[in-house]
Amino acid sequence: MSIFLDRSWPITVKVPLAVAALMILVGLVLSERVLSRLTESQERHLIELSQSYLDGLSSAIAPSILREDNWEIYDAIARAQTTNKSLHPIETIVTNADGAVIAASDPKRHPVASTIPPEHSISSESASFRFNAGADSAKAVRVLSYPGRIAGIIYATFDTSHLAAERRDVVIALALTNGALTILLAAAGWFLVARMMRPVRILSEHLGVARETLAVPIPEAVVSATRGEFGRLFRGYNALVRSMKEREEMGKRLAEEKRLGSLGRLASALAHEINNPLGGLFNALATLRSHGHLSSVRDGSLGLLERGLVGIRDVVRTTLTIYRTDAVMRDLSPADIDDLGLLIGSEARRKSVKIIIFNILTGDIRLPSTPIRQAVLNLILNAVAAAPEGSEVRVSAETIGKRLAIAVIDRGPGLPSREVEVLTGRSGARPPLDGGGLGLWTVSRLIADLNGQIVVEHPDSGGTAVKLDIPIPQVEELSNVA
Amino acid sequence: MGVGLNHRLDRRELLRATASAVLASAFGGAATRTAANGPLRFGLTPVFLTNDLELLGRLQSYLLRATGYPVSLVTRRTYQEITALLTSGQLDAAWICGFPYVAHRAELQLVAVPLWHHKPLYQSYLIVDRDRKGSGILDLRGDIHAFSDPDSNSGFLVTRAALAERHLRPETFFAKTFFTYGHRNVIRAVASGLAGSGSVDGYVYEVVAELEPKVTAGTRILKASEWLGFPPIAAPRVPVDQMRLEALTKALWEMHKDDEGRAVLRMLRLDGFGAEDPASFDAIASKAALVTAAG
Repeated sequence: MSIFLDRSWPITVKVPLAVAALMILVGLVLSERVLSRLTESQERHLIELSQSYLDGLSSAIAPSILREDNWEIYDAIARAQTTNKSLHPIETIVTNADGAVIAASDPKRHPVASTIPPEHSISSESASFRFNAGADSAKAVRVLSYPGRIAGIIYATFDTSHLAAERRDVVIALALTNGALTILLAAAGWFLVARMMRPVRILSEHLGVARETLAVPIPEAVVSATRGEFGRLFRGYNALVRSMKEREEMGKRLAEEKRLGSLGRLASALAHEINNPLGGLFNALATLRSHGHLSSVRDGSLGLLERGLVGIRDVVRTTLTIYRTDAVMRDLSPADIDDLGLLIGSEARRKSVKIIIFNILTGDIRLPSTPIRQAVLNLILNAVAAAPEGSEVRVSAETIGKRLAIAVIDRGPGLPSREVEVLTGRSGARPPLDGGGLGLWTVSRLIADLNGQIVVEHPDSGGTAVKLDIPIPQVEELSNVA
Repeated sequence: MGVGLNHRLDRRELLRATASAVLASAFGGAATRTAANGPLRFGLTPVFLTNDLELLGRLQSYLLRATGYPVSLVTRRTYQEITALLTSGQLDAAWICGFPYVAHRAELQLVAVPLWHHKPLYQSYLIVDRDRKGSGILDLRGDIHAFSDPDSNSGFLVTRAALAERHLRPETFFAKTFFTYGHRNVIRAVASGLAGSGSVDGYVYEVVAELEPKVTAGTRILKASEWLGFPPIAAPRVPVDQMRLEALTKALWEMHKDDEGRAVLRMLRLDGFGAEDPASFDAIASKAALVTAAG
């Protein structure tokens, strides 16, 4: 059946075909039974009639056959053929024991004393009757034996074309009836299945649309017109579509809020960074105003002012550098790492977390400074947020061979595994919908752009170690990159 | 043949006659002359269409009325049986063949001879399949030949004598012979092909050809014999009952004068019965003598 019914065919085709196939099977089995019963009954009837014919003829010719009285036997055959019209005898031949014809119903075909052709010869009594269903004739043989010897043999052929015609009629009637029933039931099957499957089709069309674009609910008119389990299914599907939409919108809103939150935090950090040296600068201004005539004080205050302003300039410049993506690309310098301590300083101080930077880079490195600084800034911000009060956050930067290795280690409770997956890029390329871990996702994407790798470790002493491993392109490669 | 009204009248008469005959034989009523002497016993050989029950009924009816005696028609399968009954005095008279008549001429007397085409003569035919070539008996060598009856003139003696004239014998000239005990059967045997040729009564052949053309259609007359004495009605030389025999003789001779008698004659295709000289059977007698001499 699996070969017959291709899986890709619609059920409205499969069910009628299955019904038709079953009906044909049932029809064949029934027809076979009917025909075999018909054949049995025809054969039984024919055997009874032919035996009675042979019985009558045998008793009529028994005395004559010993005398080989041609006329009496011929006359007996002629009478028997006339009186047994219902049996339709075509031909009767009587021979002596040697097979020589004594008389036949048609003496011209089988003249007296001629020998019977081999196809008429049936030697054994068991094969004394031969009838093939659907054939136009049947043959019967009777051996007339008297104690001790065979006196003669009767060969009779009967016309069975009327039985064959009856059989043909039955076959035609069966074929027509079965054919009509098969077509009728297949059509009914198609109609019913098409009717039953209509809701499924509607659902599958909507799901097909949902796969390509956004899920669309089934129109309310269709839902209200559908009763029963399909009605419940439609309502369930529509509820699912609605909840998916709500979830999607919620995700969007969360992402937006997160973005705004990050922006606010950055602005606050920036204000803080500028505000901190401002107190010192105003103090220096006041000192200058009152003790400016003293050259030592003036020089010290001016130096303080300069350093404060330079700090503010650095903060502003760093911020500009980080958030202006259209800025001119430049190589990473050791100062870029040091600047980060400056940027985070106020936040760290607020949380009483000490940031220790082991920057052993010497000279510029052929890597774009902006993405590395943004990535490391995000990591340090994360570490500071996670670090307990009074603990240290260690940042190291070095070159090992042709690679840049940066590590950020904190003593916090450890990065949750879900965030580790976001960071190491194992959870796919999409940003998290709820907005959580957006910074980590950004780090992951930035480092991946530089063909780098991120490894997160949880040392035995506690906390989290995030290690960046970025290959340093060679000169010619760099030119290509540039 | 009577048609319509006549036919129905004949039927009625037949019924009346049959009823009276039955009554007469059972109770010996005054309607019959000598019930004490028993019925008139009249034998018939298979020369005629003995299977025609209507003919037998009419003949019986006519004889009953014409003779005044109850009539018993006696039929047997072979000529021999009828001849034996006749010569042993168990029949008043019988319609036999010329051959048994001449064979038993010393014991029999001639009662009447049928007239066919106004003559007391008929022929014997040798018949063969319609499509078969040949013109004489010598063309039949090696045949399977159908005879009518060993005591029949036309159905056996004529052919046997013809062979004897040529110093031939049927059992060696023919491959095989058989008797059908009926001239009509000889025609059927030849027509069906069971026999290659047959010896048959010419009168019977012509009547069958007229009444049942299909039976003779497959055959043709190869050779007709000379004209011979028609099968006669004979009686024992010493009559069983002289009065019954006289009444029968008169009834036969005058059959053509009676309506019912004529109906019977029409069915038999005969013109009547006449008194003939026994000498008219000499030709048959000489054939019998020839055959006897040949052994």
